[in-house]
Parts: sequence; C-alpha cells; structure tokens
Amino acid sequence: MKDEAIYRRLFRTALLIRLVEERIIELYPSDKIQSPVHLSIGQEAVAVGVCDGLKPDDLVFATYRSHGFYVAKGGSLDAMFAELYGRKGGVSGGKAGSMHLAAPEVGLMGSSAVVASTIPHAVGAALSFKRRGASQIAVAVFGDGATEEGVYHESLNFAALMNVPVLFLCEDNGLAVHSHRPVRQSYRLAEHAASFGIASRRLEEGWDMLAIRQATLEAAAKVRAGEPFVLEIVTSRYKEHVGVGEDFHFNYRTADGVDAWKRRDPLIVDQKLVEALRPDIEREIEAAVAFAEASPAPGRAELLTDVI
Amino acid sequence: MSIAAVKPDQGTRVLSYAGALLETMDAALADHANVFIMGQGVDDFKGIFGSTTGLAGKYGAQRVFDVPLMEEGMTGVAIGASLVGDYPITTHIRADFSFLAMNQIINLAAKYRYMFGGLMRCPMLIRIVVGRSWGQGAQHSQSPQATFAHYPGLTVVMPSSSQAILDMYPAIINRHPGPVISIEHRLLYNLDFTVSPSEHRVPLTSYVARKGSDVTVVATSVMVLEALRAAQYVEDKAGISAEVIDLNSISHPDWDLVAASVRKTGRLVVADTSWLEYGVAAEVCRQLVMRDPGLLRQPPTMLGMAPAPCPTAKSLEDIYYPSQHETVDAILTQVKGDKHGIALPVERSMTEGYKRFRGPF
Repeated sequence: MKDEAIYRRLFRTALLIRLVEERIIELYPSDKIQSPVHLSIGQEAVAVGVCDGLKPDDLVFATYRSHGFYVAKGGSLDAMFAELYGRKGGVSGGKAGSMHLAAPEVGLMGSSAVVASTIPHAVGAALSFKRRGASQIAVAVFGDGATEEGVYHESLNFAALMNVPVLFLCEDNGLAVHSHRPVRQSYRLAEHAASFGIASRRLEEGWDMLAIRQATLEAAAKVRAGEPFVLEIVTSRYKEHVGVGEDFHFNYRTADGVDAWKRRDPLIVDQKLVEALRPDIEREIEAAVAFAEASPAPGRAELLTDVI
Repeated sequence: MSIAAVKPDQGTRVLSYAGALLETMDAALADHANVFIMGQGVDDFKGIFGSTTGLAGKYGAQRVFDVPLMEEGMTGVAIGASLVGDYPITTHIRADFSFLAMNQIINLAAKYRYMFGGLMRCPMLIRIVVGRSWGQGAQHSQSPQATFAHYPGLTVVMPSSSQAILDMYPAIINRHPGPVISIEHRLLYNLDFTVSPSEHRVPLTSYVARKGSDVTVVATSVMVLEALRAAQYVEDKAGISAEVIDLNSISHPDWDLVAASVRKTGRLVVADTSWLEYGVAAEVCRQLVMRDPGLLRQPPTMLGMAPAPCPTAKSLEDIYYPSQHETVDAILTQVKGDKHGIALPVERSMTEGYKRFRGPF
C-alpha cells in the first residue's frame, strides 16, 4: 500500500529526529555539547511532513530550533553531532553549533538565532528563482512568535507584490519562549495574510505527518505556480524553550495540553513501529556520536578563517 | 569645482561622482547577468541622485526595481538572493535609513560566512549616502563608518572621488567574497573630477592621495577633498608639504602605509566625516600607538563632527562640522605651532565651497 510505505518513511525520519534529540538529552549533562539546544521534540511531524512534501532542490530557511529540519532535509548525522560537539568534523567546523545548522547540499540554507530573521532570505531566494525561471521554491520556517516581528510583514508584502515562489511555514506551538499568544497577538494569521492577497491554510492536526505532507504538496503546487502561500501548522513543544528539561514546574503552562498532544503522537502511540525501527536508528546515532567523539577540536588555525 | 584626482595623461576626462556611480552601475548590469539593483526610488526620475537614472528602462524591471519601505526586509531579500548566487546592490538614500537594516547587516550578512564555517557566503553591495548641509539635521546626516567597521565580516569603503568609484566598484561587484558597505557622500555627487582609465589604481584599502613630508593628514570621504584643498593652501601660503592619505577602506585600511607616513612626518591630523569618539580618529591613534608610541613628535589634531546630534540651523551646522578654515589651521598648527600667524582662508562654511550643491537634497 503506497500510503503505508510513505507513512513508514515519514515515521522513520520522525523517530530518527526524536531519538537524536533524546540522545542529546542523555549527553547534555556530560557538557560535551556546550551550546544552547532548542529541542524540537513534539514538533518532529512538521519538519518531516513538510520536507517530504518538497522537492529535493527546494530550499528551506530555518530557525534556531532546527534539528528536525536538518535531519528531515537529509543533513549528515555525523556532521551534526560533530557540530554540536564543537569539532572540526562538524558541518560548520564547530563555528555554528546547534542554533545555526545548515546543509546547503540538501537545501537547508542556514538557521538563525534571531527570531524571524531568515524569513526575508526565503523571499530573496524565491525572487532569484523567479528571475531565472527556475521551478524551485523557497520555504521560510518560523514560529508563531516570529509573525509579530516587523520583517514578517515586510516579507509578506514584498512576496505578494513580486509574486515570488515562497512558502511561509508557521510552526505554531503557541509559545514565544514563555509567553502565550493572547498577550502577543491582536491579529489572526490567516486574515493578516489575506490582507496581502496571500492565501493560507491552518492545519490543526500537527501530529499527523501524512496530513502535513499532503498540505505541503498542495501548498507547494500553488507556490510553484508563482503564488506565495502561508501554511500554519499547530504543534506542541514538549520540552523547555531552551535546554533539555521540562518546564511545567514553573507554572507558566500546564502539562495537560502537552499530554493531550502526546496521546495522539504517533511516535508514542505506535510503539510497535518504534520498536521495529529503533535498533537500526540507534546504531546510526551511535556511529554519529562516535564520529563526533573522535573528531578533533578546532583551534588557532581555524579561529580567523572565513571572516570576510 | 574641478579637482584633479590624478595626473592628466592620455584618455583623461571629467566625470562627476554621480556620473561615475551611474557608469559603474551600468557596467555591473551589462557585465554580470546575476546583478540586480533594488532600493527606494532606484527606478524613478531622480534615480538616487542620478546614480541609477535610466537603468530600469535599459535593463528592465527584473534588474532594477523600486521596493516598499522595508529596509530590513530588503536587506534580508538581498541576502537570500545572494545565498543562491545572485549579486544584489541595495541603496539607502540616507545612511541613517540603513540603521533600520542593522539586524540583517550585522546579525546576518556579517556572520553568514563565518558562522556556517564557510558553507555560506552572501556577497552584495550596500550603497548608503551620507547627507550634509542644507539643514539635513539630526537624522539625515550620520556617517556610520565606525559603526559598520566595528563588526568583523563587513567590508566598509568610503569612495572620495569618481576615480575611487571607477576603480573600486568593479573590484567589489561579483568579485569581493563578502558583503560590502559603500558609504557615499551626498556633497560629492555633483562634483566633477578628472579621471583616467586605470587598472585598479585606487585599491580596496588606503592610498596616498598627495605626497608630502611635513605632516600627515589621514582623511575619509569628503574630508579627503577638504584635506587636499587645505594641503594646496598651506603649500601656497607657507611652503608646507602635507601628505594626504585617503583611508578609503575603513574596515581594511593600510595601517603600515599610515604608520610609515607618520614615522616620516612625526605630525598627524585626522579628518573624518563622523564623531571622533570610538571612531576612525580613535582607531588611527590606537593603530599608531600600538605600533610605536614614539611615532608622533607632538599630540595630533582631530577633526570631526561636534559631539552632539547634527543641528539643522545653518549657523549651527557651520560650526558643527570642521570648515576649510579649521582644516587649514590644524595643518598649520601641527607644523608651525598655534602662533603660526599665517592668514587662514575666509571659508568658514564648507557648503560655500561647494557652490554647485543646492537643496533640497
């Protein structure tokens, strides 16, 4: 069954992301990863469904919470762990760390720790695609908080004026660090996009990888025809904003909302498939950790390279 | 006013600063299919003070186009286009507006090559124009070379003549590996310069604009012209030989060149277009002192904007900026002491010397 094969492919990648991050959680107390980590546990389905709905040469511009997109787009696991370890074998030789993962060879065009700052980059790449008549599209990935930044509005306006092939992908986890939407937003994203003449869709089932993939395929088809599109996917951040722990004890949110999400999370519900795939994935992760452990640290010779 | 930037030889001609900009923009579009120009008003009848006029008609709206009021967004769009191989040129008709793009310039463009360990590059040219005179006031007059040059990853140049533009821009556009900010000066736009065909005569670093032996004047942008005029005056009136160095690249100056000149003269005037505090003047001193604290025979003289926001009233503006009067006085005082007794030029308002410059811009 075709859908079953697709589901299994998506599930495997989502599980890979989760087990990678759970390995990061295990490693973190050892201080081998000396970099802030923003875990995407709970949000994996978005990265997996979206990237599977794109073509390999479509480009993704991402955020500091991008372990998921890095893996889903096909970035090297060895180079990722070495990057988190701050080693020469890292994807950026240890100069990037967790917050700035990139894999241009598979279309992940960088990730930034300044909220909303890569949104216009996707618009710019889309402008170039249009100028050269390419069939590629560019995807701006951002959280719901980023839509409050001025540059989000500038980017939508410009994309609409120029009719460039850009997909605005909002990962809506309802939180900006610890702030809830009601204190942050006086607008509705869809209505806001509509005021620029940009069509949008809000998908509530952010745990459903197949639904996300299908929504992305449909949105990407519109975008490829030269229409910007806003795709909003509701999701849930299980862990704290930054770091490897949980944060329910700080009482700014309750575990209830996350628990409701977990009851639908395929990576929790479908334990049979998890156990079937786990051994192979764990071998892959252990090989990447071993690669990182063995990779030398950068030093004086690297400190001042690639500045200009 | 016509200022000879180079010795006349075969093929010399007169070309305004704006004309040089237009020629280099035109050549960039003609020579490189991946170049495009975007900015507020680049395709309108004023064409960024004549520096892009007619190019939209010649190359089409895909290559030269107006943008909404979105300095940060525009700069981000430029970065994105650059990341996929295009070469964007963006404009800000006042440098002050580039502050709205600071996030993209400093947090993103300046970092992208290093932060990704060389995986990413975003070469692009950001042209910003410094305003001065005719009541530009506090928000149309700032000259942010020190601000931008502070951040590793940015290359900052300040062309002081048509020749500098003709020589540097082709070496920057599609050739320099990273983002470049060129700080152009509005007072220079309508000035005519003598130029000659050259093979990168003005380098992407500092150069000696006038040889001399008694005092070193390190200057930037329009202050290079002021220094050259003053150097001529002190030679005529007092037989003083002033060496003028155009710092030219603020991010990558030739400090050895500056130090060698000061070692020779022992006397220093710095003439910058911005504030002295934590600026070019301060950095020149740091570089010299770090090399050899004994290079100077006496304390140097620093010329820059007064330590306040720029006032609008002409009477205040005239004393806010160093005038030709003060530049000449600084050089004379360095060489002959403050009781030099030599008559100073009556020119106390710099705009008086730039008769061709008229409002509203």
